[in-house]
Order: sequence, then structure tokens, then C-alpha cells
Amino acid sequence: MILFSKHLKLTVAAVCGLALYAHGAQAPQHINISQLSTTVEDVVVPLPNEIFGALNKLGAVNWKEHVRSDKGPNFTERPRIALLLGAVIADGFIAVQAEDAPAVKDIGQRVLALAKGIGVGNSITPHAKAIIEAADKRNWENVRLELDRTQNSVQQAMNEVHDEKLSQLVSLGGWLRGTEVLTSVVKQHFSNDGAELLHQPDLLSYFQTRLKAMPEFNLPIIHQIQDALVAVKPLIDVGNAHIPAESVKKVNEITTRLGTGIVTRD
Amino acid sequence: MNGFAKVLFLSSLLAAMVIAQRASFASVDDAQSFALQAAEPYVKQGFQVREDYWGGDLASGEKKAVRQQLFKGNEYWFWLGTEVDRAKVSVHIYDSDGKLAEESDSWEKGHFAAAHIIPKTTGSYFIIVSVEESPEERTHWALVYGFR
Repeated sequence: MILFSKHLKLTVAAVCGLALYAHGAQAPQHINISQLSTTVEDVVVPLPNEIFGALNKLGAVNWKEHVRSDKGPNFTERPRIALLLGAVIADGFIAVQAEDAPAVKDIGQRVLALAKGIGVGNSITPHAKAIIEAADKRNWENVRLELDRTQNSVQQAMNEVHDEKLSQLVSLGGWLRGTEVLTSVVKQHFSNDGAELLHQPDLLSYFQTRLKAMPEFNLPIIHQIQDALVAVKPLIDVGNAHIPAESVKKVNEITTRLGTGIVTRD
Repeated sequence: MNGFAKVLFLSSLLAAMVIAQRASFASVDDAQSFALQAAEPYVKQGFQVREDYWGGDLASGEKKAVRQQLFKGNEYWFWLGTEVDRAKVSVHIYDSDGKLAEESDSWEKGHFAAAHIIPKTTGSYFIIVSVEESPEERTHWALVYGFR
């Protein structure tokens, strides 16, 4: 019995050792975030479909009522085009959720036109083509992939010519449109889990910091967004508390107003 | 030096130059292709891998923190890779209180590592990447993520 017990202990130790080896060094269970000596990198702004995916898991969403594929005005100011481009890419993700092939194709064309307007059309042409082809085949996974690639290529092309600020506006336009739709859905069928998806205070601070560094973009829509982010912050930065239905409604009103501002000529 | 020795010498010199050039041109993009290689099997399981990624270079023992917004209801994998095949890297996920938040199936294998999380709350998380060991002075790294 003693021998068996010893053998068992050795086997358990060996198995644990192997598991440890496969997993590598054990990570500490706790770290002091406030004393992180390492540099913290910027956030990667989540794609709208990352939020929509989480929203879908909470219950069926009628995505068709959120599809928007109208052509909209043509702007000449590059910051306005960048914001609109981000919003239109987000519209693409909504149209994919709704599995609306004609809307996806229209959005593909619109993305290309906007990208040309901002001087990065060349890097987008193959993606726009791929979006339209995948929509024709109703291959929604490929459409999602190409929308992600589109946003990435637009931003890379902008970064290469040191237009990082415009690149950030593309992300902001997408985030605002995503938040508008998220709050619209949660407002209709309120749940604490749905409202919790709005808990994005660091992302909001990130956009606030970026906008502050763009004094050269002296446009009414940029000022409206800055003011709106100040108003939204206390509504979503609630720590461990729940975000109430009233806050969701307010964020929806604010983001809907901004959404209209982004697609409408002053 | 006879003809054969000359050819052998020139070939060796050329090979050494190619290797040296490859080493000097190694970049974060190379690291990214390794991170994507680690992600490949998970795509078949329905994970959508983002095109965007983080990258840079670190010395042995150095760490980097990446802050990321995650959504409750989604499941995420973060994949770390480097082109330095004798390097050892690690990636771990902590919540905003500094508590280890990753699943137990997270793994490290030489110059690849991956961390898995099913967030219990929506909010900011910290992804800590580290080059544990490396024969290079600075080691390129790239971190990609996917969700489903």
C-alpha cells in the first residue's frame, strides 16, 4: 500500500510536471496594474461586428431595420470623408448581419468612392471587388473578412503617408455608428447584459485624447463629437454598477444625432 | 585555390550573405506571420482573426502590456509569435483589477504562445507579452487576436 501510494505520488508529480512544461512558466495570479513598469500600447479599436456578435448571443436581433445603404453626400474635407468612411464600413458589417446582399454591394461601391476621395483608392480596389463578389455568392464570412481588410488597408495607407489622424477618424466613425446601433438594439429590448456592452470607458478616453490632438481639424462635426464624448463618459463609466435603461437611451440619442451629422452636409 | 574550391568558397560566401541579409531584414511583419500561423487552427473552429495587430521588439526578460476592450458573450484567443525560432515567448491576460483572467488551455511553445479568455465582464483587459529567452539582443514580436 505504501509502495503504491509512493508510486501514485510520483506519477501525479510527473503528470503535473509535464502539464507545467507544456504550459510553460506559471503566470502570477495577480499583478499590480497601476504599477505596470512596461509601456502600455494603444488599444486596437474593436470592429463593429465584434460588438454585434456579442449582441447576437443575447437574443435575435432584427438587423434589417438597421441597414443603411443610401449614397449620402460627397464631402471635400478629408476629416469628414474619414469619419464617413468608418461609418460606411460599419454599415457594411450591419448589412452582413442582415444578410442583405444588395446593400453590401452598394456599400462596397461607396467605400471605394470614399477611399478614392481621401486618396487611398488604390489599396481598396481589390477589397471592394472581393466584397461585391462575396456578397453575390452570399459568402458572409468572406464579406466580413474583406470589410476588416478594407478598414486595415485604408488605415495602413493613411499611416504610410503620415495621415494617422485621419486613420483614427475612420476608427471613430465606425465606433460611433456601431454604438448607435448597439444602443438602438438594447433600447428596444433592454437587458443588463446588453447594456453592459456599452462599458467601454477606456476606449472613449482613447478617442477623447486623439481628438484633442487634432486642433487643425476645426470642423463643427469634430467639436460636436468632442462634446458628445464628454456627455457619454459618465453614462458608461459606472465601474461595477449596471448601466440603466435611461443611460442607454441617452447614449442612443447622442450617437444618433452624431450619426446624422456625419452623413449630412453642414 | 582550384576551380572547385573557388566555387565552393563563393557559394558559401553567397549563402552567408543571404542569411545575414535575411536576419537584418527580419521585421515585425515576419513575427506577424508566425502569430498568424499559431492562429490558423482556430480559424477552422470559427474564430475571426483581426487584420489589425500589435508588434515591436523586446529584449530577453522584457514585457509589454497591451490594453484591449473585450466584450462579455464573445470568446477570444490572443496569439503571440516571433521569427526567432530559439526564442521563448509568453502571453497572459489580466482583468482591470490585475487578476489573471485567462482559461487554463492557454499555452506556450517556444516562439509561439497563446492565451484564451471568455470574459466574465465587458471592459478593459491587459494582455502582457514577454520575451522570456532569446539568442537575439532584441526580438521582434507580434500579437494578433481572434474572436467568436
